[in-house]
Formats: sequence, structure tokens, C-alpha cells
Amino acid sequence: MRRRQMVGLGMGLSLLLLSATLVAAHHGWSSYDSNTVLTLTGTIRESGYEHPHGFIRLQVPEKTWLVVLAPPSRMENRGLPREMLKPGVAASVVGYPHRSEKDEVRAERITIGGKTVELR
Amino acid sequence: MIHPPGGTGWLVWLEGTPLAVAMRQWLWLYPTVEIAHILGFVILVGAAVMFDLRLLGVSRSLPVTDMARHHLRWARLALLLVVPSGLSMFAAHATEMSANPAFQVKLALIAVAGLNAAVFHRGVFHSVARWDRQVRVPAPARLAAVLSLLCWAGVIACGRLLAYL
Repeated sequence: MRRRQMVGLGMGLSLLLLSATLVAAHHGWSSYDSNTVLTLTGTIRESGYEHPHGFIRLQVPEKTWLVVLAPPSRMENRGLPREMLKPGVAASVVGYPHRSEKDEVRAERITIGGKTVELR
Repeated sequence: MIHPPGGTGWLVWLEGTPLAVAMRQWLWLYPTVEIAHILGFVILVGAAVMFDLRLLGVSRSLPVTDMARHHLRWARLALLLVVPSGLSMFAAHATEMSANPAFQVKLALIAVAGLNAAVFHRGVFHSVARWDRQVRVPAPARLAAVLSLLCWAGVIACGRLLAYL
């Protein structure tokens, strides 16, 4: 009896967690369409070196994209310090467009001044 | 900020406080606070789960009163880690968080868990001397245990889902 109670309890908890994890994501990689690879080259208009993810607003000829980068601690570790993301600097990013936000892209890597940094 | 702040005045104000700015801008503050939050809720929820399992009939030789003294004291102390770290992370993204459905459900579940604990202590726990060890715990106490387990599992799930919703 006690064993049955435990099994039931375990199943209940697993179900709760499973159903919760099936909900769609926002900034997680699954919110972005990895089948569409975009390469955007333009000028940084604004940047944020902040948690949970850094970002730049990248102006390309057609429009300005919000490019979501990596957590600042990771960018620092991989050699992309705050100073490299200054407005006015030319940058190129490879990334995936957001599934619902049409001007948002999540960057896989970024190239600034001939230096490429992986962000995932 | 990545999403320009908008919404209720005090939330916008909170996001602009030095603490909130430091949480966003300092390289290692946010992860450090996150680690403190995790350490805290491991102790809090771990202690609560062990106590709840005892109420549900696991390890009946352990006196409920001793477990309450030991586990519930640590659960309360853990709040000293959990609450300030949680408030700091909330401040960093106050407008975004408060609009996040996972955050709203999380707060509601914490409220239910707190209420459940209060009802347990003010109610059925007064008769603990009669069911301290080796006997089946009364139904209201077992119900409180199940509710507590579900609430805390839900709180952790919602907390993690904040990043994905």
C-alpha cells in the first residue's frame, strides 16, 4: 500500500513537470527557427552588456534587428568584452530569426573587426 | 535594456534602482545570486519534501516532532538565502517578470504553500503527540503533505520556466 502511494506520487510529480516543460519558450533556442540561417551585416546602433543576455540593435540596409547575444560573463570569457560592442562599430552576425518576433534574431556567432566569437 | 521597460510605475522604478542595475550589469553578480537562490531552495524544498514523505508514512520510526524541529528549522533558515536572492533577480527584470505567466503562477503557488504550512501548524499539528511515531498520520496532515509536495514541485517548475516563457 505504502509502495503504491509512493509510485502514484512519483507519477503525479513527473506528469506535472513534463506538462510544464512542454510549454513554448521565449529566449531559449527553441524560440528561434534554426532551419533559417541569417547572415546580417551592418552597424551597431545600441548595445546592452547585461543579464540574462547581451544584445545589440544592428542596423542593416533594410531595417534594424534586435540581435540577442550570450550572457555577458560568457562573452567576456570568449573574448568579446563590453568595449567591442560600441555603437557605430561594424558587425556581422550569423543567427536564427525568432518564430514570432519578426525583428529579433538569436546569434550563433558574431564577427567584429575580423574577430569571430561563438556565442552558444 | 533588451526590452524597454513599460508598465506599472513602481516596477519601472524598481528596475532603475542601483541594485537592479548592478544585477544586470555586473558580470558575476547575477550568476552568484542565482547560485545562492538554488542553494537556498535546495535546503528549503529538500527539508519540506523529507518532512512531507514522513507524514505520508515513509520511515514511521522517526518521530514527527523531531523531524519538525530539525527539518522545518532549516527550511525557515533557508528563506534567508531564498528571499533576498529572489527579490534581487525580480528587481533586475521587474516589469518583464511580473508580466510572465510562469512568475504569476509561481507566486500563487508559494502563497498556497505558505498558507498550507500555516494551516497545518495551527491545526492538526497540535495533536502530533498522538501520531508521533509508528502510527498512521491523520488525513488532514497527509493532505497537507501532498499539497506541499505538489506546490513545491510546481514552484520549482515555474521558476525554471521563467527563462522560457
